[in-house]
Formats: sequence, structure tokens, C-alpha cells
Amino acid sequence: MNLKSMLYIDRRIIYLLVSIGALIPIITPIGLPVMPTKPVAALFDAIEKMGPEDVVIVSFDYGPSSEPELNPMAEAILRHLFTRKIKVVVMALFPLGGNEEAKKELSKIVGEFDLRYGVDYINLGYKEGAQAVMKRMAVSIPDVFPTDADGKSTQGMPIMDRARNYRDVALVVSLATGIIGEYWANLVNAQFGVDVSVGCTAVSAPKYYAYLRAGQMMSLLGGLKGASEYEKLVGDEYPAIRQTYEQPQEKKISATTGMDVQSIVHVIIIAFIVFGNAIYFMTRKEGGK
Amino acid sequence: MKRTVPLVLTFIVGMYPIFAFFVPHRIVSDLNDRLDTWLIIVAAFALPLGAVNVFMMNFSKISQRKKGWPYSLVILAGLVVMGAIGIAGAYRQDSIAQFQYLFQNIVSPLQSTMFSLLAFYVASAAYRAFRARNVDAAILLVAAIVVMFGRIPFGDMLTHGSMTPLSEWLMTIPNTAAQRGIIIGAALGAASMSIRIILGIERTYLGSGKD
Amino acid sequence: MKAGLILLILMLLVAVAGVAVQPAWSQVPFEPPAKDLVAKDTPDDAGRSIALRWQGSGEVSLRILRGDSPDGNFVDIGGAAAGDQAFNDPGTTDGKPYYYRVAYRVGEETLYTSVVGPSVSRSNWLYKGRINALLLTVLMFSLVIAYISTARKGKTLYLRRIAGLAAIDEAIGRATEMGKKMLYVPGIMSIGDMQTIASLAILQHVAKQSAIYGTNLEVPNKDPLTFSAARETVRQAFLEAGKPDQFKEDMVTYLTYDQFAYAASVSGKMVRELPAANFLIGSFFAESLIFAETGQSIGAIQIAGTADVTQLPFFVTTCDYTLMGEELFAASAYLSREPVLLGSIKAQDITKAIIMMYVGAGIILLNIGLPILRNLLITR
Repeated sequence: MNLKSMLYIDRRIIYLLVSIGALIPIITPIGLPVMPTKPVAALFDAIEKMGPEDVVIVSFDYGPSSEPELNPMAEAILRHLFTRKIKVVVMALFPLGGNEEAKKELSKIVGEFDLRYGVDYINLGYKEGAQAVMKRMAVSIPDVFPTDADGKSTQGMPIMDRARNYRDVALVVSLATGIIGEYWANLVNAQFGVDVSVGCTAVSAPKYYAYLRAGQMMSLLGGLKGASEYEKLVGDEYPAIRQTYEQPQEKKISATTGMDVQSIVHVIIIAFIVFGNAIYFMTRKEGGK
Repeated sequence: MKRTVPLVLTFIVGMYPIFAFFVPHRIVSDLNDRLDTWLIIVAAFALPLGAVNVFMMNFSKISQRKKGWPYSLVILAGLVVMGAIGIAGAYRQDSIAQFQYLFQNIVSPLQSTMFSLLAFYVASAAYRAFRARNVDAAILLVAAIVVMFGRIPFGDMLTHGSMTPLSEWLMTIPNTAAQRGIIIGAALGAASMSIRIILGIERTYLGSGKD
Repeated sequence: MKAGLILLILMLLVAVAGVAVQPAWSQVPFEPPAKDLVAKDTPDDAGRSIALRWQGSGEVSLRILRGDSPDGNFVDIGGAAAGDQAFNDPGTTDGKPYYYRVAYRVGEETLYTSVVGPSVSRSNWLYKGRINALLLTVLMFSLVIAYISTARKGKTLYLRRIAGLAAIDEAIGRATEMGKKMLYVPGIMSIGDMQTIASLAILQHVAKQSAIYGTNLEVPNKDPLTFSAARETVRQAFLEAGKPDQFKEDMVTYLTYDQFAYAASVSGKMVRELPAANFLIGSFFAESLIFAETGQSIGAIQIAGTADVTQLPFFVTTCDYTLMGEELFAASAYLSREPVLLGSIKAQDITKAIIMMYVGAGIILLNIGLPILRNLLITR
């Protein structure tokens, strides 16, 4: 194997090394520290200032493919909201799986608290149309969602009297893959002035920084790192939540544990890049001679 | 007539939301809200249209034993089973549980698996593409390494906490500036294309650019 | 004398008692939580709403009361939290006069502000907060129409070379020489997305060339509406090339609405059928790298194009040519060279130049403490 052939290393070798790198921290967790950043802390601080009189919309705008990154985010945020007894309106705008993710996450987290459906929280389910739905919600949320995710009428539910339209909503948290998070920032914040926070996959995070800097979003949680930072913030502030994350079943699937895998894989990729460049410069030198 | 009616309709339906954006009067906004509702309904109808297409295409592949017909059998089986259980879920509570079981144990892991392929593809693409061939490529390479290190705790551990702020600065300042430039350009391009469509100059969406 | 002295002592006692038993509100200056109440028609809306504004100390919560006459019955229509200085009443009838007052509690007592009114709600004909956007829209429309008129008069308009578009014919030629098929992926969004429409414009050109040279073309789709439009586009292209009989229905297929199932299906097609040329043009999300890297692994020439900024890096690193952002939208003009379409591209470029100069001037003014240009762009 000469130097030049190493520039075009079989990609299966790369895949194998990445696989090994991903498996090792799952088998033997490392427990690397997490340092919260300002875009994530902004959401935490905003929710800390809220209480039982506030209503927050949590929109599940992602499907199963983004579960590994966004489920930990959803769980940490819902735990924080319910701990502070904030009223939570859950909905979904992602057509393939958004509603299922919302149901799954809500049923898991609600079980940890003493909450009343229709009073403390509600799941409005999925609605087709994204931007059209967002625009109509500015006029009337009950009109857009006359029934909840299970088909029950929302009329008469106390929480819907508290969330008539965007004027009653303190914050919208969109857990988004794709373009729906941009719609919340572009349309709902820009046109109706509602505070918007987006939790997105790591691959989408770079484009959301423009909206964050422009003030169209008040916070941004990017990928598994954003989720792990939020877990740290809520864990440090609320011992009960920290204890939940320390349970073996929860620890296994938490974002903080996932960061071990991401860290190792990043190091492997960086090592490959450095290796590739070293070979490249050595072959250039040889070529020059 | 075949071309004129769609063009006139496009002009009216294209101009109306623009008009409604600047005119809040109830006469205008009521119809605009109705248009938004119609959009939701039309978008919902696209899904069964797709299901019918899948059924017809794959059924003909199976019946004519075309190349790859066993895959078509798998597609139709999945479509029928998930579709039937999903529709039954509107009438029976236990079907909802079955649908969720299939979703959580088949659909969800399959989608997560496909998404996880990106980790491997990023590694192979990075190895191949991030070569310091010239100054621009070298800057790209250094920025990529800084951001990758900044997204993991190792970076802070090796640099006493300065990697995350540097990575955040790269993301919030240079990256945002570049993204904004592309977003503005793309938005103008889309606006220009929209104007062409509304005015009937661009007709490719009708199937042809010419009369 | 005695009586006068007794009277004087009594008066002094009363005065001392009065000073000793001062009401709490007179010991500290009282700041009403709501004063200077104003009720006006909510601006820039479709009517049926009156906006209340007030100044206040923000220490107690308030109840808003509404009546049909200043002396009549007032009904509680809602509350404002301590610190709020605004309330919107969304339940009015346009043209009908209303009167308002605000109630608040001080200790056990309920106090009221004075009544304000009559206030009448009405529908407004113009969003005053969006006049700047209106002017920009008019400017852009005017520029497009002006340059289209210029182009129609026969003036030649220059368009720079776009490498990705110039390479399309090269890719088609390569596939023809190798005797292999071309794969055209028009993105994953519906026909309502501008990028999909731009992609169909390029598909029309590719399909026409494919018909002329007899190269196999396959167009797998994720969205049903895009699938219908793509089929018509390809059919029409074959018709225009004079080869309608060579068009086959299964050239343009609908696969699935699921993003990653679509990615799996298209990747499988690439690996099994080994196309010589891949066109990945339209709106993409996470599956972009799956397509591009799989295409790279089979050695196909790849031309990508998208306006999604998060996917551009993946395409740039894995594809031979990438159309970035507005280059994608210029495709129909570039490929057809129709003067009318070129005119609109020129107008777009002029608008961009104006925006760049505006932003540059705005940055300079902002740095010397004059946010005039920035404030002019604020829209509600």
C-alpha cells in the first residue's frame, strides 16, 4: 500500500472505525462534562421566570428519524415546564410521526408528575398545513383544534380558556426537523411577536443562528449537545430531575450519555481529516521531488 | 383555454395573499383565512393521491413480474397493513395500540437507522473533501476542526474552556453572516421566480415553458 | 372662659387623635396601578378589537370593565397582570361605541379609574406597520416589469456563466456515451416550494436532451403533487423534442411520502442500476448527504442544486457541481435564454445590489449611533 493509495482509503474501513468508536462509549460510558452555552441557557432562564399563570406551546415538529436528538430535548423541557407548573399545550405539525412522538413523550413525562389533563396540559394532536395553521392560531387556537389528539372536544377544557390565541401564550417551543422551526421564527415571531425557541437537529443548527442573532428566536438548542446542556441546567437546579436522570434506564438514553458517543466519533473524524491531510502533503512533496 | 384558465387562476391566487398581507380589512382577511383553510384541505388530499399511485404502480409491477417485483410486494404489504390498522384506529381503541406498536417497533427504528447512516457518510465525505489544497480549503479545514472540537467536551478539556466560546463565535458570526447572504440571495431568487409565475412568464409548473 | 378652655382641649385631643390614626394610604404617597387610561381602535387589524393602554405602578392586578354607555352596566371582560400596561378587547362590534374603566383592589376596597370612551372599533384598510415592505414589493415588481420590457425591445442582457448549469449537457453526454441512465431527483418538497418549481424547469431541459439523444432517464418522486407535475413536464419535453412515442410512464415514478424510505429507495436504485449522471436539484433535508455520498461511491457525475443553506455544504463536498441558492432559480432563464426571463434575473440582481448598498450604509450609520436605516426596515 503506497502513500497515494492511502488518500483513497476504502470507505468501509472508515465506517468500521466509526462503528467501533460509537460502540465503545455505549458499552463503557465515559461521563464527559457538559458546559451550557448562552443560546441554551436563554430558554432555561426564560422558563425559570414563568409560573402556573403562563401557557407554553410545545410543538413536536419532528419524526422518528430525529428521535435520538430531539427526544432528550423534549423530555428535559417538558420536565422543566411541569416542575414549574406551567400550563403546557402540546401539538404537532410534522406529518410523519410528529403526533406519535408527542403522544409517546407526553405519556412518559406526565407519568412522573401529578397533572390533570385538560387543566394542566393538553395534547392537541397533528394538523396539516404548517404555516396556514400557525396563521390561524393567531386568531383562535380552539378553532384550529376543535378536538384533541384523541378526538375529544376541546371546548370547555379549562386550559383552552387560558390559550385562546397567541396573546395568551408566553412562549412557543418548537422541536423541529426541516423547515417548520423556520416558519415559527419567520411567521409567528415576526408577525405576531410571540417568543419562539427552537430545538433542532445538529445539522440544521447553523441556519438557525441567523434567526437567533436577528432576535426572531430567543433561544436555540442544537442537536444532542443542546439537549445535554439543557439536561445539565435542569438537573443542577432541580434535584428531583437530577435523580430521574441518574436512574439507569434514563441514564442510558439521556443526551449526556449520547455526548460520549458523539465525542468519540468527532475525534475519529478529526483524526481521519488530519491523517488525510498529512498523507496529502507527503504525496505532494514526493510528487515535487 | 387549457393554458389561460390556470394562468388567470395563478395570477389571482398568487396576488391575493400579497394583497392581504398589506390590507387587514375583514373583507380581505376573511377570504385569505378561507384560502389558508383550503390549502390545509388540499394538502391533506395529496396523501391519498400518493397512496393510490403507490398501489397502482406496484400492483402492475407484481402482476407483470417486472424486475424487482418482490420489493413491490413488501411495499404493498406495508401499505395495506399500516393503512388498515391506522384507519381502524379511528373506530377501535385496540387498533390505536397496534398502530403505535408497529410505529414504535418498525417505522421508528428504520427511520433512525437511515438517519444514522449520515454519521458514516459524514466521516467518509470529510476524509475525502477536507484537504488543504489552497488557502480557502485550509480555512475551511481549520474552521471545521474548531467547530467539531467545540461541540464536544474534549475541546474544552484540552484548551481550558476556550474551544466552546470560539466554536460559538464561529457559528454566530462568520457562519451567520454567510448564511444570511445565501438566504437573502435565495429569497430574492424565489421572489423573482414567484413574480414570474404570478405574471404568467414562468410556466414550467404547468408542464411546459411554451404555449 | 372655662367652656372655651374645655373646647380648646377637646379640639387638641381630636387633632392629636387624627394625627395618630392616619390611614395607611396617607403615610405613603399612593400611586394608582392604572391611570391615563386610553381606549382606541386597535390599529392595523380586521376590526372587532379595541386596544386599552394605561400608565401604572404595576403592583396589583387589574380587571377590565366594558359598558355600552358611560352610566350603564359595566361587565368584566378580562384581567391584566400586575405590571401589564395594555389590554386588547377582541369582542367588539365594529361601529358600536364602547366605554371602559379599570378596577383594582386596594386592601379590601375596589377602586375604579374614570370612564373613557366612546371608543369604536373598525377594520383598517392598510397595515401602517408594513408600508416599508409594500414599497419594497412595489420596487421589485416595477424593476421586473421594467427589465422585461427592456428585454422585449431586443436589448441583450448578460448573464454570467453558471458552472453547474453549463455542466448539465456534459453530464447528459457522459451518460449517453456510457449507455447508462440518468437519475433526476427533484427534491422532497411539494410543488408549492419554489425550489421544486425551479427543479422542474431544469428537468424539462434534461428530459428534452434525453429525448433527443435517446438517453434513459428516471425521475423518482417523494411528493404526489410533484410527481404529477414532473410526469407532465417530462411528457411535454418528449413531445417538444418530437419523440412522444419514446416517453414511458414508468420514467417518472412515485415512491413514498416518507423522507428516509425515499432516501433508502433512491440509494438502492443508484447502487443497483448504476446511473452515469445524477441530478439532485430541489429542496432537500438530511437525506441530501445519503444521495450525494451514494452517488459519489458509484462514480456518477453529480450536479446538485438547492437553496437550503444547511444542505449546501454536503453537496459542495460530494458533488461535481453545485447550484447555490439563487443560481437554482436562475436556471430556467439561463437554459432557455428567453429575453423575458433574463429580464427578471436582471431585476433580481439590481434589487440585490440596492439591498447590499442599503445594508452597507445602514451598518455605517448604526456604528455612529444613527439607527435610521435599520429602523426603517422594522415591520409588524
